[in-house]
Amino acid sequence: MGIRSHLAATTMLASSVLMMTGAAKAETELTFVWHAGTCADAIVDIAKDYPDKSVKIVPALVPYGPEWHGKIAAEFAIQGDGFDFAMWDSQSTAEFAGGGHAHSVNDIFSSSDILNKDLFKPASLARYGEYPDGSGKFWGLPVNQDAYGFMYRKDLFEDPEEKAAFKAKYGKELAPPQTYQDARDIAEFFTRPDEGLYGWGQMGGRDYDFATTASNSFMWSFGGELYNPETYEVKGYLDSPASIDGVQFYVDMFDYGPKGSGNWGWDEVNAAFQQGKLAMAMQWYYFNGSNSDPSVNKFADKTGFGNLPGAIGRDGKFRRQFSVGGQGMGINTYSKKIDELTKFMEWYFQPAQQKRYAAVCQTGLKEVLESPEWQGLNSYNKQFAQALQYTNDYWHLPEYAILLDQLQEEISNAVSGKKTVKQALQDAAQKHERTLMAAGYEIKRSDNSPEVPDQMIDPVGMDKVVPLAFD
Amino acid sequence: MSNTPQMPRELSDRVLCGIFIMPTLGVLLLMVAYPFISLLYYSSLSFSVLRPLVPARDMGLLNYELLLTDPDLWQRFIFTGKFVFLTVTVQFILGITVAYYLQRDFRARDFIFTLFMLPMMLCPIVVGFLWRYMFNSEWGIVNVIIAAFGGTKLDWLGVADNAIIAVVIADAWMWTPFVILLATAAFRGIPKNLHEAASIDGVSAAYRFFRITLPLSMPILLIALLLRLIDAFKQYDLFFALTGGGPGAETMTVSFEVGKIAFKYFYTGQASALAVILLIIIVGLSMVFVRYLNNVGKEQ
Repeated sequence: MGIRSHLAATTMLASSVLMMTGAAKAETELTFVWHAGTCADAIVDIAKDYPDKSVKIVPALVPYGPEWHGKIAAEFAIQGDGFDFAMWDSQSTAEFAGGGHAHSVNDIFSSSDILNKDLFKPASLARYGEYPDGSGKFWGLPVNQDAYGFMYRKDLFEDPEEKAAFKAKYGKELAPPQTYQDARDIAEFFTRPDEGLYGWGQMGGRDYDFATTASNSFMWSFGGELYNPETYEVKGYLDSPASIDGVQFYVDMFDYGPKGSGNWGWDEVNAAFQQGKLAMAMQWYYFNGSNSDPSVNKFADKTGFGNLPGAIGRDGKFRRQFSVGGQGMGINTYSKKIDELTKFMEWYFQPAQQKRYAAVCQTGLKEVLESPEWQGLNSYNKQFAQALQYTNDYWHLPEYAILLDQLQEEISNAVSGKKTVKQALQDAAQKHERTLMAAGYEIKRSDNSPEVPDQMIDPVGMDKVVPLAFD
Repeated sequence: MSNTPQMPRELSDRVLCGIFIMPTLGVLLLMVAYPFISLLYYSSLSFSVLRPLVPARDMGLLNYELLLTDPDLWQRFIFTGKFVFLTVTVQFILGITVAYYLQRDFRARDFIFTLFMLPMMLCPIVVGFLWRYMFNSEWGIVNVIIAAFGGTKLDWLGVADNAIIAVVIADAWMWTPFVILLATAAFRGIPKNLHEAASIDGVSAAYRFFRITLPLSMPILLIALLLRLIDAFKQYDLFFALTGGGPGAETMTVSFEVGKIAFKYFYTGQASALAVILLIIIVGLSMVFVRYLNNVGKEQ
């Protein structure tokens, strides 16, 4: 080969490389952080059909738990653009928006012809994106709604012999519980360690929010509260008699679970239920898809779903309150691709895409949520549509992660028996007030501490049990 | 004869040395000195890297005072000390015992030796999750074995006293191979003629082990001890995956506490102060050992 041929070949090769580089540059990658699972896979799958082929949605997935929050927080700490958007827990909005790391969704609403507030239920938008509460400032869109739910073994509940035996022992019908008091009786009835069967499964693990999302559900239902958002008092609220009632009930329910279940996370609850060891379990709606899948749960066709029970508190009022789950889609304010991301969101939040998403997970789009088609898609969507009105959340404060860890530690102490429930909640209240004061909050101390704090803060108590349907 | 002025030979060597050392010195300054000085500076502030809108406050030595008067932190130190003592003791007893048998030549020795080394090659966080499943009270293999022998299933990770045993077992499983590795190398490095001479003199195996094998292996065993102590002291991953620091805060080590304050609470100033305290402890511990090691070396 002569020198000219060499030159020609080199020129062609260089041109090809340049063209390829040019083509690669034309592709915009929008990276998102979330915990790995069905819903993240669904977004990636749907995004493959995004008409603008120059945009690629890249998942950066981590396991559910502290790594997930840590990955987002670490990137914000260096003010980096390692991801463009992230699905973060509802209660993290205050932490990330308060730190100035989240891009304003109000700006997106004002610049977009497609995205606006009316696409979502006001409560959903507030839960997953508003900070400060009631301010009308939004920092995330309800991309994946979730709530703490309930599942049970229909075959056991419908067994004539079991029904008769239960009625003989407790003098009432065996049916999915409307109150925790009923749940305790049923759990006790089905707790048969010799047969490898237990009445109740719930999370109690020290990791992330495992114990407190469960214990809070009990606490709120018994009329307790985490704090007073007006005065920032924690003492007298978190350790109020009603809060203690609720958390004590939660701790006592471990008596009807397998030994060691005080250390469980959602994975262990699912595994125990799928192995037929549990008659009832508290579990997030998020997992209903897999728990109703016969290839995952051998009792799938015998599994019923519904909402968690409520409780009759010491004031005689009935309350049904459980932890909200799910995530808002927040935008990294340091991202250099916010325009491209906005266009993607305009496409993604249209009903066609959201219907596909809602086939496997819980969408936040009002039109899909309210459609009979979606509600009839499986045995639990209808219950989920009702669940949202009963949800409650952690503190919407930038100090959320610290407060959460402190409460986790103390609830874990109560579960393990190291402290009494009262002592654990008193210690948690003290730590929380110290944290709030260090962050600059002024705690306005009231003269009287309420016995049932819910009576003072957005009361939800009812005079009688309001039953909900089960699958 | 050249008219070029000659540099004094001594000065020229110094300049040359300086030129050669400068890149390394630069890297050292950049990689060690700068972060260390930054760490000292940050430890005197109250600020959070996650809350850049809140201005940093000068705290002087208050972060150190707050930490050192916090009873919870002392609990972490006590737990860490307990953990380090237990795990390193178990690792050395098992490691030296196994190494004693592995120093001899026998069939399949290399194969068995390689098998013993496998846990050490795993990622600590993987080991943590692996043992977490094995310690599951309901379906974990550990309780299944206990039940098969007629024992009562234990709540390994939900009860504080059991949890520390669980972590020690997992840590010892992973790091005993390291002790085996170094101890075997040390034992096999002892001249054979010493053992032969002792045998001829009719010395018992135990006497030979305690009076020949152990003393002559001491420098290497001390290095192993130093490395294991430091490593156990800063163990984080295993606790993160296995217990999450729980139940409560019962299995929270000092390193776990640093991680929590730095990357969960994002109290950057306080975390820096705690890191400085830890650094002082580890450097102090290392200096004591290195001095002792030097003395042993001189005696031998």
